[in-house]
Amino acid sequence: MPALPTEAVLGAWVATGLTLFIYSFLYKDNPLFKLSEHLYVGVSIGYSVVLAWHTIFLRLLWEPLAQAVRDAPSEAGSYMLLLPASIGLLMLTRFVPRIAWLSRLAFAFVVGFGSGVAIPRTVSAAILKQIEDTVQSLAPTGTGGYSAFMDLALPQSGINAIILLIGVVSVLFYFFFSVEHTGPGRVAARTGVYFLMLAFGAAFGYTVMSRMSLLIGRFRDLITFSGAEYGYATLILLLVTVLSLAGWELAVRRKGGKA
Amino acid sequence: MKAFARRMVAIDRRIIFLLIAAAVLVPLLRPFGLPIKVSPEVRAVYDYMETLPERSVFLLSFDFDPSSKPELEPQAVALLRHAFRKNLRVIVMTHWLTGTGLADDVVSTVAAEMGKQRGTDYVFLGWAPGAYALVIAMGQDLYTAFPSDYRKIPTKDMAVLEGVRSLRDVNYLISLAAGNPGIEMWYVFGKDKYRFEMAGGSTGVMAPGLYPFLRSGQINGLIGGLQGAAEYETLIGLTGTATAGMDAQSATHFVIILLVVLCNMFYFVLRGDPGRSR
Repeated sequence: MPALPTEAVLGAWVATGLTLFIYSFLYKDNPLFKLSEHLYVGVSIGYSVVLAWHTIFLRLLWEPLAQAVRDAPSEAGSYMLLLPASIGLLMLTRFVPRIAWLSRLAFAFVVGFGSGVAIPRTVSAAILKQIEDTVQSLAPTGTGGYSAFMDLALPQSGINAIILLIGVVSVLFYFFFSVEHTGPGRVAARTGVYFLMLAFGAAFGYTVMSRMSLLIGRFRDLITFSGAEYGYATLILLLVTVLSLAGWELAVRRKGGKA
Repeated sequence: MKAFARRMVAIDRRIIFLLIAAAVLVPLLRPFGLPIKVSPEVRAVYDYMETLPERSVFLLSFDFDPSSKPELEPQAVALLRHAFRKNLRVIVMTHWLTGTGLADDVVSTVAAEMGKQRGTDYVFLGWAPGAYALVIAMGQDLYTAFPSDYRKIPTKDMAVLEGVRSLRDVNYLISLAAGNPGIEMWYVFGKDKYRFEMAGGSTGVMAPGLYPFLRSGQINGLIGGLQGAAEYETLIGLTGTATAGMDAQSATHFVIILLVVLCNMFYFVLRGDPGRSR
C-alpha cells in the first residue's frame, strides 16, 4: 500500500486527538475537553471569517467593482456595487453611538425586503398548501381505480385522511384556551394530547437515531485511524488521553480539591 | 427487588456510556449483515433519478457543515455516484459557509472516482450569501448569482451549464440539509416559484418535520439520516459507509430500548418509595 501524504496523516492525528479530548467529557469536565472546545470555537469562527472575506468582499464586491471601473471608468453603472456596499457599511455605525441611528436605514432595508419576499411565499407554501393537503376526499381511488379507503400504506387513503383530520382538529382544540376543557371538550383535548405524544415520540426516536449516527461516524474514523498507515493514531492518543486524565485527577487530589 | 431496583436507578451514568460505546464498536468491527429494507420515500428519489434522461441537469445543494457529516456525507456520495453513473450534468453548491470545503472535497473525490471532468460533467459553484435571496437570484439568472465557480472559473461558457439560464432549467434538485437554509427554503423560494421537481435529504432530527411536505407532494422524496443513506446505497448496489454503520445503529437502538424498558420497570417497582428520586 502506498504511503499516505503527510497532511493526511497529520489531519488524522488532529481529528483523532480532538475527538478523544471531546469524548473525555463523558468522564467529567477536564482541561483536555476545555482545550478542544475552545479550539473548535476559534477555528470555526476563523474559517468563517476568512471564507466570508474572500467570497463576499473580494469575489462579489472588490473584483467586479475594480473590473467595471477599469473597463468603463466614466459610466455611472460601473459604480453600482457601491450602493449595496454603502448600505452594508451603515450597519457598522452601531459601533459609534453618535451615528448609530444610521444603522436603522440598513436594517429597515433588510427587514422590509425580507418580509416582503418571505411572507407571501411562506403563506402560500407552508400554510395554504398544508391546509389543502389536510382537507382531502374520503373516497380516493388508487391505481387501477380500486377503492383506497382502508389502505393505511397509502398516505392519501380515506382512513389516513380521517386520522389526519381528527389529529389536526383535536390538537388545535387542545391549544384553544377560551373554552374550559370539560365534557366533550375534555375528550377532544385529551385526544389532542395523545396525538402530540405520538409526534414527540417520533421526533425523539429520530433524534436518538441521529445522535447515534454521529457517534457511529466518529467511531468509524477512530477505527480507520488506528491502522499502521496512520501511525496507530487512535491507540497512541487514547493512551495519552487516559494517562493525562489520570495525571490531572492525581494532581487535583493532591491539592486537596475536587476534580 | 426494591433494593436491586434502587441500585440500578442510581447506577453511574458512565456505565451506560460504556454500554453504548460497546454497542457501536462491536458491530463496526464484526458486522452482522442485518438486511436493509428500502422505504417508499427513499425509493421515490431513486425512481425519479432513474427517469431522468442523460445530460439532464441535477442540482445538489450541500446545506450542511462538518458537524452533520456522518449522516449527510453518505447521502451525498450515494446521490453523486448515481447521478454520475446516469451521466447527468451535476451542479453542486452550498448555502452553509462552513460546509464549503467539505462539499468541494466530496464532489471532487466522487467525480475523480467516476472519471468525470470539472466544467464538463460537473461544477461546484461554492457558497454565496443571501440564502433565499440567492435562490431568487438563481431563479432569475444563474450567471448573475454565480459569475464564477468555487475555483474562480467563469461560469458563462462552461460546457456543463450549456443551455442552463436559471433554476427553471434544472430537472431535479435535492437539498441535503441539517437545518435552515435547507429543504423548506428551497421549496418556498425555489420550487414553488420556478417549477422544478425536488426532493430532500436530511438529518434524522429534521426528518419528522419534513413528512408533511412529502405527504402533500411539495417534495417528491425524502432521505432521512444514516438509515436513508444506507437505503439509497442498497438501491444503487453499492456498499458505502452508511450500510456499514447500520448494524451499529440497530445494536444501539436495541440497547436504548432495553434501557428504557428496564428503567420503566424499576420506576414502577419503586413507585411510592421515599428514596426514589435520589
